[in-house]
Amino acid sequence: MIKLNVNGEAHSVDVDADMPLLWVIRDELHLSGTKFGCGIGACGACTVLVDGQLRRSCMLPVGAAAGTAITTIEGISTDRSHPVQQAWVAESVPQCGYCQSGMILAAISLLRQNPHPTDADIDTAMTNLCRCGTYNRVRKAIHRAAGSSTA
Amino acid sequence: MPMILMEELAGNWDRLVVKDAPAAAIYDNPVFHQQSTVGSFSVRGWYTELRRIGAAAREMLLTAAATDWGVPVRECSASNSIITHTPSGRSRSFGSVAAQAAELPIPQQPELKSNADFRLIGTSPKRVDLAGKVDGSARYGIDIALPNMLYAAIKRCPTLSGRLKSMDDTAARRMPGFHTTVPLPDGVMVVARSYWHARKALAQVRTEYELGKLAGVDSPKISQIMREAFNGPSAVARSEGDAPAALAASTHTMEAVYEVPYLAHACMEPMNCTVRIDDTGCDVWCGTQAPQGAQHAAAAVLGIPAARVRIHTTFLGGGFGRRGEADFVTQAAAAAKAAGRPVKLIWTREEDIQHDFYRPAAAIRFRAGFDRDGKIAAFESNVVTSSTPTRMAAGPSFYTSGIADSNYADAIPNFRVTGVDANIGVRFGFWRSVNDSHNPFMLEGFIDEIARHLKRDPYQLRRSLLQHPSGRRQLAVLDLAAEKAGWHAPRPGHSLGIAALAAFGSYIGTVADISMKGSQITLHRVVTAVDCGVAVEPDNIQAQLEGGMVYGLTAALRGEITIANGAVQQSNFTDYRVMTMAEMPLFESYIVPSTAPPGGIGEPGTAPIAPALANAIYAATGKRVRSLPLSRHGLTFSVERASA
Ligand code: FES
Ligand code: FES
Repeated sequence: MIKLNVNGEAHSVDVDADMPLLWVIRDELHLSGTKFGCGIGACGACTVLVDGQLRRSCMLPVGAAAGTAITTIEGISTDRSHPVQQAWVAESVPQCGYCQSGMILAAISLLRQNPHPTDADIDTAMTNLCRCGTYNRVRKAIHRAAGSSTA
Repeated sequence: MPMILMEELAGNWDRLVVKDAPAAAIYDNPVFHQQSTVGSFSVRGWYTELRRIGAAAREMLLTAAATDWGVPVRECSASNSIITHTPSGRSRSFGSVAAQAAELPIPQQPELKSNADFRLIGTSPKRVDLAGKVDGSARYGIDIALPNMLYAAIKRCPTLSGRLKSMDDTAARRMPGFHTTVPLPDGVMVVARSYWHARKALAQVRTEYELGKLAGVDSPKISQIMREAFNGPSAVARSEGDAPAALAASTHTMEAVYEVPYLAHACMEPMNCTVRIDDTGCDVWCGTQAPQGAQHAAAAVLGIPAARVRIHTTFLGGGFGRRGEADFVTQAAAAAKAAGRPVKLIWTREEDIQHDFYRPAAAIRFRAGFDRDGKIAAFESNVVTSSTPTRMAAGPSFYTSGIADSNYADAIPNFRVTGVDANIGVRFGFWRSVNDSHNPFMLEGFIDEIARHLKRDPYQLRRSLLQHPSGRRQLAVLDLAAEKAGWHAPRPGHSLGIAALAAFGSYIGTVADISMKGSQITLHRVVTAVDCGVAVEPDNIQAQLEGGMVYGLTAALRGEITIANGAVQQSNFTDYRVMTMAEMPLFESYIVPSTAPPGGIGEPGTAPIAPALANAIYAATGKRVRSLPLSRHGLTFSVERASA
């Protein structure tokens, strides 16, 4: 049994320690907002926060996440009220939407470290892939969220 | 699409609920009679029909209310799902008369609004899909979970023509969670308790393959086959005048060969499908662009009538043509059948890249002949590719589209387009913008070459070829893109490249604004003008143009599927690298106001960026790029970032 804390809730899961956290979150805990895109850490669709740090959950064996506090897209607000989510809606960012959970978590992490990122900061930090090409709207939404959380 | 219906219905947008349609002929696109989300056909195919449906429903609701009130219908009006009797000021909701209205005969000739009265069309109302796409609750095919469900993982023969000769699953059977092995004609699936268990057990299966006819085939060989085909028999797609004779009589001629490689779709959501079989038939959950194709695929595996296959369409993490295929449905149905329980099949990214239906490789040989005044007297194009439309029985000459139906043709007296459907054997299929992902790159490149050859401004040469009625709308987007990009006064050190075309019922012109230092391209901005008829939802049009540009630019920069021994050499985003945030250029788009019926918008945006960029590179360096990707020419890429 591996003990996990996901979105503030304690869980024990009976899985192999080498199972990637991604599949535990999706298939054992049934939180399907975290997505599978590549399985090798290259796309960011599976992004979660582990003890506040950005992690690509497809590359993190669940054993290594035991005892940490994990946040998935479902855990950032209960009502889409997080400023980043609101900015995403205001800028109409998603197209197919599949990459967006990861994008939003990456943006949250960026804004925590750097409340007013420049375009260059965004270029460096936002390495998630989007096949629909929403990058410019992601950028705008990050600037918008930065503006709204200024105070 | 709901906007079109709601416009005529006069419904309240805030109360709109959208549901995915099951597979059924009633949802067939009115233009091509299949229930598919393809060819940028949804809005243009449904525009009139959805208006008629909305208007008919509104008339029925008004009639029901008027009858109930005992007043003439013409004294009643509808807005925001409320019916008002103007003289008395009485009002009531659509819902209060819906039951009575439903009993009335359906008006066959409902009166449609005039464009000037549109309130919803031409605006960007709140999107109904956004909430689930920012909180993780939107359900994609990969998210389906059923009671008692098992998971399948799949591995197929890397060589695309491979056939399974034998397999040994002894070791796999000993793995925890193992349930069933399912051999396929060209691979094997393992069904297990969890997806991770299935993946691990699958890795233990040993397979032997017959490689088939693609054994030994590689990309250079394919290129050679295509180029040799120029000299073989070809089908005539269009012939005006006598191009061969005019070429022979020309005072001087030009010839150039253009070529592009195979491309993968790489939808963000890997292929997947969930199937549950029961006594009454079966249920299929997947993100699909073609529910009826999915339905028939499952029915064929199970040997049951298609009507007994219930398709549950989910959100899809990118389609781009890939999800018009149903191979993953066939496989999931086979897995569920073998396992005797519901099964969710999930492909790895590696399988997705290596077992796609690729945008076919293509090559064109152009020839142009000029008269003494420097006018184009003859123009010949020979298009060699693998024809997806032919494979899909949608018409043999369609793969020459963008060339054979070019709006330049009317300005050229002798114009001939031929095509060769090269039978190479690599799986191919529809890929966002189809033939327009390669033909305009080639045509607009060659037109640019002609302009340089004639010492004319490439923009002005294009203008001169569009001075006839059929060229009017293309000319307008060409002009608008040139104007907005400052064609006549580029910034110091900048070079501009232009391209314009007609595709999917729309017209699009793009200017790429670059500068170059050695082999390093800096893309400063991309300016696009579009005429897509009535602009139903401008914000979505902007998003589609931008997204289409990214798809096209990714391909232009380094998109390339290469073949060795009949197998795809790329396998994931590490070697099939798609564009990133840091590479995203500034993008400006302009919509030409129009009252013409809507054109397509999902695909046209993919087409013009490659030729605009290649033409800009020529302007900057004098080096002509006749093949893609640019990375093959030793060119590297960056974008301008305005400093914040
Ligand atoms: S699925 Fe984890 S980075 Fe792509
Ligand atoms: S919105 Fe589709 S992949 Fe990003």
